[in-house]
Amino acid sequence: MTEVEKYRKPIRVLHWIHAGAFVLLFLTGLILFIPGLGFLAEDSWTRVIHRIGAAIFIIIPLIYLIVNPRSVLRGIKLAFTWNSDDIGWIQALPGYYFRGDESKMPPQGEMNTGQKLWWLIVLVFGLLFTITGLIMWFAKTSAPPGLLQGMVLIHDISFIVAGTMFLVHIYNGVFHPLFNEAWSAITGGKVSAEYAKKHHGKWYAEISKGKD
Amino acid sequence: MADKAILYDASKCTACRGCQVMCKQWNENDENIPTVENGVDATNWGSYENPKDLSPSTWLKMRFTEVEENGQVRWLFTRQACMHCTDAACVKVCPNGSLYHNELGFVAYNKDTCTGCGYCIDACPFSIPRSNRNLLTGIAKMDKCTACTSQGFNRIEATSADVEMMTESWRDVLAPACVKTCPPKALQYGDRNTLIAEGKVRVQYLKSQGRSNANLYGENELGGLHVMYVLEDSPDVYGLPVEPKVSAAAVAWKDVIQPVGWAVGGLAIVGLGMNWLVARANINKEGK
Repeated sequence: MTEVEKYRKPIRVLHWIHAGAFVLLFLTGLILFIPGLGFLAEDSWTRVIHRIGAAIFIIIPLIYLIVNPRSVLRGIKLAFTWNSDDIGWIQALPGYYFRGDESKMPPQGEMNTGQKLWWLIVLVFGLLFTITGLIMWFAKTSAPPGLLQGMVLIHDISFIVAGTMFLVHIYNGVFHPLFNEAWSAITGGKVSAEYAKKHHGKWYAEISKGKD
Repeated sequence: MADKAILYDASKCTACRGCQVMCKQWNENDENIPTVENGVDATNWGSYENPKDLSPSTWLKMRFTEVEENGQVRWLFTRQACMHCTDAACVKVCPNGSLYHNELGFVAYNKDTCTGCGYCIDACPFSIPRSNRNLLTGIAKMDKCTACTSQGFNRIEATSADVEMMTESWRDVLAPACVKTCPPKALQYGDRNTLIAEGKVRVQYLKSQGRSNANLYGENELGGLHVMYVLEDSPDVYGLPVEPKVSAAAVAWKDVIQPVGWAVGGLAIVGLGMNWLVARANINKEGK
């Protein structure tokens, strides 16, 4: 069975380090939503871990940006490129997601609409987390209290949106029966040609053009 | 137990700052005094007010305000320390209940469990809590006035049965350190309702003496403060908020955003679980 490369190694490394940092941030942040778990935050130590996670969360993508700016620009452009196929995808989603009905699904590019949506959320809320977080971190003693309270509010709204979509992301990658090769794509980098044709028809046509 | 309170009468205060000293002594809040050779490293900043601000080891200080009236200077004194609100913003935003109301109605806190998040510092309408913060690691602990009810430093811990057995002079001991030391009795401690009545009598007297703006601050503010002030003038003249409020951001965060967050997260988990059951069954069926 022929395989095609879905994610290059640097992307996979970036994904997993960033994901690890996000899990750290997610769990140490979630504690502030659960008063019963508040004892875990005593003496500030989960807040120290939160800062270590934050440093990784911010610095690793910046390193990637410096090493491979073209890849980052291409990715950002992809996140903001939406067309009628995406609307068709969203309309066909319920039938596809629950019943596996692929008949109405428009052919998808390298990223399907759902992946693009998640990638857009990562970009937008990653930036919001970073800005509000850095202000709360380093301007805690100098910024006006009203501003700091606003930062907490935005940070928490971002957490609810991105955190919930993060659960959906894990579910799709690990549990959903239709995306059975998503896991191997992000771990080993490769998917079968059959899977690529089925889930990323436009992209598969593009990459296999030269080979025939 | 009926709520207790402190009543501060600005019209009796001489700004001797004995309360400041006693507060530090009783609560063992030493201040590091900057020194130069043979002296104290201090500069005149145009006021007798000292220190300039509250700190983790300064829970009470007197504020000095100069107001011009008919070409004359009036020198006004205010007490700056925790007001022990009933609707306490700090208690509302504290993520793990380290700040709480004790049985006397005062806002106490458990310093051991404090996470150092500093939300209380940003939320307080009177700008009272302080912390020493390591800006890089974020490690911090909040401190503020507890009306002398901190564990180990509790002047008021005696039970009511003990109080019954006490002589009148001993009962007087059961008061915060600042109240105990006040020479002109500008500070009083007792049942909140009694002090409201006494404060109103004093306000009437001040009005009869020509202070038409005299008022009792704290009777109804923020659900009722447990530190009330008899003021000769409007609160803003003393630098106090006229209508102190729990900020909209704090209310939105605790009463709207967090419950919505739980609902959204919960629904997502339930939805994904249902999808797993439905999609797996449907897709297996198709496979056959």
